[in-house]
Amino acid sequence: MFKLNLKIALRNLWKNKGYTFINVIGLSIGMASCILIFLFIRYQLSFDEGIKNEDRIYRFVTEWKYDAFDDYSNAVAIPAVKVAKNEIAGIEKSAAIFRRWSILRVKDASGKDLFKQDETIYYVEPDFFDIFGMRWLTAKPTQALSQPNTVALSETAAQQYFGNAQTAIGKTVTMANNTPLKVSGVFKDMPKNSSFPLNIMVSYETYPDKNGDCWDCVSSGNEFYVLLKEGLTAKDIEGSLAQFNKKNYADRKVAGNQVNKMEALRDIHFSEHYDNFSYNTISKTEIYGLAIIALFLIVTACINFVNLSTAQAINRAKEVGVRKVMGSLRKQLMLQFLTETFLVTLAAMLIACVLAELAIPQMENLFKGTVSIGLFQHPVIFVFMLLLVLFVGLLAGFYPAVVMSGFTPALAIKNKITLNTGGLSLRKILVVVQFSIAIILIISTIVVMRQMQYVQQKQLGFNANEVMMISLPNDSLSRLKHESFKERLLKIPGVNKVSFCQDAPLSPNINSSDFAFNGIKNKDFEVRRMKADEDYFDLFDLKLIAGKLFAKSDTANGYVVNETFLKKVHITNPQDALGKMINSTGQNIPIIGVIKDFNDLSLKENISGLTISAGKTSYWRAAIKLDTKQLFVADKKVEALWNSIFPNYIYYSKFVNENINGQYETEKVMGILFKVFAGVIIFISFIGLFGLMSFVATQRTKEMAIRKVLGATTFELVKMLNGSFLLMVFIANLVAWPVAYLIVNGWLNGFAYRMELNVWPFVLAMLITMFITLLTVSIRSYKAAVANTIDALKYE
Amino acid sequence: MITIENLEKVYKTEEIETTALNGINLHVATGEFVSIMGPSGCGKSTLLNVMGLLDKPESGSYKFIDTELLTLNDRERSNFRKRNMGFVFQNFNLIDELTVFENIELPLIYNKVPAGERKKLVNEIIGRMNIVNRSGHFPQQLSGGQQQRVAVARALVTKPKLVLADEPTGNLDSTHGNEVMELLCELNETGTTIVMVTHSSHDASFSNRIINLKDGHVISEKINKGKTEELI
Repeated sequence: MFKLNLKIALRNLWKNKGYTFINVIGLSIGMASCILIFLFIRYQLSFDEGIKNEDRIYRFVTEWKYDAFDDYSNAVAIPAVKVAKNEIAGIEKSAAIFRRWSILRVKDASGKDLFKQDETIYYVEPDFFDIFGMRWLTAKPTQALSQPNTVALSETAAQQYFGNAQTAIGKTVTMANNTPLKVSGVFKDMPKNSSFPLNIMVSYETYPDKNGDCWDCVSSGNEFYVLLKEGLTAKDIEGSLAQFNKKNYADRKVAGNQVNKMEALRDIHFSEHYDNFSYNTISKTEIYGLAIIALFLIVTACINFVNLSTAQAINRAKEVGVRKVMGSLRKQLMLQFLTETFLVTLAAMLIACVLAELAIPQMENLFKGTVSIGLFQHPVIFVFMLLLVLFVGLLAGFYPAVVMSGFTPALAIKNKITLNTGGLSLRKILVVVQFSIAIILIISTIVVMRQMQYVQQKQLGFNANEVMMISLPNDSLSRLKHESFKERLLKIPGVNKVSFCQDAPLSPNINSSDFAFNGIKNKDFEVRRMKADEDYFDLFDLKLIAGKLFAKSDTANGYVVNETFLKKVHITNPQDALGKMINSTGQNIPIIGVIKDFNDLSLKENISGLTISAGKTSYWRAAIKLDTKQLFVADKKVEALWNSIFPNYIYYSKFVNENINGQYETEKVMGILFKVFAGVIIFISFIGLFGLMSFVATQRTKEMAIRKVLGATTFELVKMLNGSFLLMVFIANLVAWPVAYLIVNGWLNGFAYRMELNVWPFVLAMLITMFITLLTVSIRSYKAAVANTIDALKYE
Repeated sequence: MITIENLEKVYKTEEIETTALNGINLHVATGEFVSIMGPSGCGKSTLLNVMGLLDKPESGSYKFIDTELLTLNDRERSNFRKRNMGFVFQNFNLIDELTVFENIELPLIYNKVPAGERKKLVNEIIGRMNIVNRSGHFPQQLSGGQQQRVAVARALVTKPKLVLADEPTGNLDSTHGNEVMELLCELNETGTTIVMVTHSSHDASFSNRIINLKDGHVISEKINKGKTEELI
């Protein structure tokens, strides 16, 4: 019986090649998108998996609750690292891991540099290796990183510096200019799906500030991990942690109600508040969002299948009738129709695998190598594919099977079956659902694109055109050369202005701190403390609105604050602020000037209360304003000069505008994903519509011929056929609009600066869908309307 | 073999009710060849459908030998049909996607006849129907007469006790029509009971008894003497 069913199925599919093609293509594109989304989600969920004791490993994080806002950090204060294990019961092991950047060199016997590179290094306490069960390529060092001036390298780093793991052992790497580090071990490379991109791990004993005792200084690179004792979870030590927080923060009167909390290892990648060393997080909401899009895609493709199958059901009526007369049970018929669906689904799955395989490299590109996925990476992918075939097969096949197998044999054998005469048929509802989904995605895509445009075009309140940021060595020796470097820079033709500073005006790399205003401790917010020299304001075109700028100085002699700062301390007239004292460094310094607000963070966030002051020891960047016409030449000359003055360091340069745009990378990727998925759903929906139209046109051939004989024009016939389809798409627009509004408005609320959401994206989506519908159905209805009348009547 | 009493069947639409069968009483003996005649809409096809368990009447009784069939559920009707009945239709009703061989094989599959046995039975009947060289063809590749032969072959392959034929020559020219009627006669001669609905007096002349229906009533019954004598 199965063989026969299979035969009928294949022959039937072949007979209706057109519809089979539409079904297979629609399903395979939908399934390929689903597979890609599944691979992506699985990859994201696999972060930091497979670490021994992973459910007992926690990261300590820090939280502040000010009166006006909450703040979060992935890091801890240095003294907490020293005392946590002793003060909190239940911790088996603990280890600090601090990220820093440094130049690393490998020298030959004569002292010449074989290798010199800016590297991210991590100071780690020895227990880190045990907590994370790191695997050693060389013999496990008995005292791994317990001594100062020792380093462990990843396999890749060892190969890069010394050729291979074995030869690396015992060799020396020089950190900065003069700190030798002896290689004491080589560990297996961290996988890509890890929140720990560790290559160079230096012993914590080497860390110069390891004895720091500032409880309210939390630097974002200072992470701290603990391994709880067997059988314990974070809940079990909540009490002990609360005591620790009270003793070390509350009792010490640390500002902002600072506390430490614990975050499970497997939550790090999905953290919305806390960053990590890989700078790679994804929220669970985003993952659910993607899963919903995948579901949308597959439902859209299934709707095509259901619509075309039920539409064609009448053609199968005779077969159903005959089979029932021959003694077939309804169950057997359903099984037969489901076999057909599964055949199509299976074919679609094979094509989907090919499509997915072709799309994977593009997808990895889109995520700039931060994602590594493969079709045959994990057995669970096959399970997913199998489930997908079952799910799609049942979703698409069950309803048509129920309808077709339910025909009354007496009517079926005489072709007297009629389906959905008038009224609100399921098919119409499904088309409306399908198009509503497509329209929601179109509207979302338009809004995402518009918002990105808005962000890129928004006036930020400073002028960064042709401003290049270059690295500026800032150790005590280098600082001696700053003055002459600046003078010589200004002499280069094409260099218009130079300022030494911490970073560009819009930058996430500025510290914030609690402060006292006019002697009163502020409990509402933290102030961002930007350091820059006196030329910064002119170079970036920051507008002074009261007072004056600070004079040339190595240290802070007066603060220039922004309007937001004044607003936050409730001063309305900028003149009133002048002379008021700010203490954020243990020293009272007066406000001497007020500048107009500019965006100091990405447009997702509001402008902060800000102070700008001199502070030579924090100048890590030189901002150079270049002449547009001499951009390229000047750039080269700046690099040459830099290398001659700071030969031991590594030159780095980037234009400010590139950096600013880089802040919206996630949104850009999202925009592209939306475009792709909207495109896929539109394609699937419209080929479905085309198929349905073809069917309707065939069904109504006789009616059209009679109407034509009675005098209907081609235009009237096309209008008649198109009418119902346009109405369905119109209704779909009305259904989609409120849903789309809720979705895009929610997304835009994530931006402090957002475009105004008006009716246009909605109207545009309607125009697009109505136009494509008209085009799609007209192609087929026109063909039907101009068909030879006599043939049609004879045929019937 | 068949005893029908007070059979009633009503078709309802939103606006009107049509009584298709109005208290039909009928007896068909084993080995009989009965024709049902009457004008269009008199209920003859409905009666055939009810006899073939393809349709359910509102009331009445339908006994096949001693089994009351109207109380059976769907599954039981299905099973009864496939074991005891064969059908021949005016429009052949062959499955377009199956070859001649596969079409004839279909009822055997539903009767769970083993594959080897099936092949033997199908080949046997194909030989009898003189369509051996057509067994690999699809229905569309055959003439109307050939298609009806296949349909008859399919009806007979399970060796049913009763063959129900609904205007079996309606779509055929007279030569092919006669061939089919002769086939049915041969079949009847081997002991199979046949009930045939027809418009054609010529076709009806092949049967033993002619029942005339009008407006859902049996209005007359006529014994076909020549045939009856032959039977005696």
